[in-house]
Amino acid sequence: MTHPVQAEPSPYAVDLTGCTKEFATPGGGSYFAVRDIDLKVEPGRFVSIVGPTGSGKSTILNMAAGLLSPTSGTVKSFGTRIDGVNRRASYMFQQDALLPWKSVIDNVSLGLTMAGVSKADAYSESRRWLEKVGMKNFADRYPHQLSGGMRKRTAVAQAWIVNPDILLMDEPFSALDVQTRQIMENELLQLWGESGKAVVFITHDLDEAIALSDEVIILGAGPGSTVVGSYEITIPRPRDLLDIRDDPKFVELHREIWGRLKVEVSRTYASAQDEESDVA
Amino acid sequence: MTLAPAQPNASPAAQRRATKKRTEPSNFSIRMGQLALTVAVLGSWELLARAGIIDEFFFPLPSDILITVWEWVSTGYVFPHLWITMQEAVLAFFTGAAVGLILGFLLARVRILERLFDPFLKIFNALPRVVLAPIFLLWFGLGIWSKVAFGFTLVFFIVFFNTLEGVKSVDRVLVDNAKMLGATERQLLRHVFIPSALTWIFSSLHISVGFAITGAVVGEYLGASAGVGYAIAQAQGVFDTEGVFAGMFILMIVVLIIDILVNRVERHLLRWRPNQSG
Ligand SMILES: Nc1ncnc2c1ncn2[C@@H]1O[C@H](COP(=O)(O)OP(=O)(O)OP(=O)(O)O)[C@@H](O)[C@H]1O
Ligand SMILES: [Mg+2]
Repeated sequence: MTHPVQAEPSPYAVDLTGCTKEFATPGGGSYFAVRDIDLKVEPGRFVSIVGPTGSGKSTILNMAAGLLSPTSGTVKSFGTRIDGVNRRASYMFQQDALLPWKSVIDNVSLGLTMAGVSKADAYSESRRWLEKVGMKNFADRYPHQLSGGMRKRTAVAQAWIVNPDILLMDEPFSALDVQTRQIMENELLQLWGESGKAVVFITHDLDEAIALSDEVIILGAGPGSTVVGSYEITIPRPRDLLDIRDDPKFVELHREIWGRLKVEVSRTYASAQDEESDVA
Repeated sequence: MTLAPAQPNASPAAQRRATKKRTEPSNFSIRMGQLALTVAVLGSWELLARAGIIDEFFFPLPSDILITVWEWVSTGYVFPHLWITMQEAVLAFFTGAAVGLILGFLLARVRILERLFDPFLKIFNALPRVVLAPIFLLWFGLGIWSKVAFGFTLVFFIVFFNTLEGVKSVDRVLVDNAKMLGATERQLLRHVFIPSALTWIFSSLHISVGFAITGAVVGEYLGASAGVGYAIAQAQGVFDTEGVFAGMFILMIVVLIIDILVNRVERHLLRWRPNQSG
């Protein structure tokens, strides 16, 4: 009870309040990607954001990372306002973000060497991480010599080696085949389970979101999408990802959340069709 | 009946395999082809000139040009000139490339500077640089510095614009990733911008090597007391077309050698790239 961390008012690891993001469009107008977003993630929580394509999931993550500043609203992390990039967060990007001119081990050790860790120490730590993600035999390869799954494993090691308090992941596994994906999800849960880090995880896949998270947040259809639902996932941990889809609680939650998400997805689809017929 | 379509299917595939082999000739036969082409062009030039069909005065015999080259080299006549030209070209190249790189990176990273300088750079770039040569002669005299200054203006703009473009076209997500991993502005430059812009920088270096020498030679041609351009101007003064061609030939070889060296460095620094030729 007298633990120092619990003694101070526990601030959120990620704390977006009333965040709106407006982009200038090439035509000179403006486009509201997201509107009035409130997102609070406590340390140690695993939160997923699910929403139709173009609903602003990456935009929200970029604001949490400090890569984008909101047009209005505030972004805080552990009680301090974010100005520039959030130093306590790591980011796994939707696109490939490994530096193509650096070998796997140089990519993984980059965060450490840039923080002033000696090359020898950074390398031995990187080797440990490459072993963890099953990449230790590929340390000297360049990114273009790796498969998509291997690149994602490297990206996991690159993001986690700096020991961030927050991990932001933007559809990290959506490009992978089902089997590789399940292995990676399992590994992610294992890594996270022992770490106490806050995770914000973006995915298209509701199954994945429910299986991994403590909380699933549903984003509405764009433009100007908002949070339309938030669901507590009470399935106990540790979870067995291979069988979780048969869990009655999973099935029930899935039906409930999908009922909400379906509406948004079909709205996105309908407006895309409208635009098409407008163009025609 | 079902077998019938299968067989014609098989043969085009086999054919394709065969044509693929035929369309990818070995390195050796390419080299032989190049040699044959050279011999054919130079040979017909030689023959046509000997037959009097093209005027030997304007197009001296290739064999005579080679003899003149040999004379220039064996008597050592050309070396002091070449040495001067090389000094000018090297100075112009390194100063132009260095200033172009530094300004290119600076303007690409500091948006306000780019917006400030943009019209001036466009104006100076639009200026045909050759017209600067006379004014540099007046300012810096007949010695090497007027040529260095002239070459500098040629090299600088190529390197500058390529660097600017190269840095601006860096993949955003790579920059964001490095930033999230804690990169400072200097570390971004070192780990992301420079390696990423290197392709552009090298393409500009290939061009600017030639331009550095062009600058030196044109400058010398317009007014100097030494240099290959001066030697060419001297030969022209006495209607020695062989000498003019010999000067051209020697410069060509020198540029080729330098370009091969740049290629070496490029291949080493860009070794991380996927092999395009497969
Ligand atoms: N830099 C930008 N300039 C203009 N519009 C942008 C910009 N970035 C994003 N948008 C727009 O904002 C909206 C949300 O984009 P975002 O990338 O956040 O969507 P998303 O939910 O991540 O989509 P996906 O699931 O396909 O990755 C889109 O309509 C997009 O066109
Ligand atoms: Mg996205």
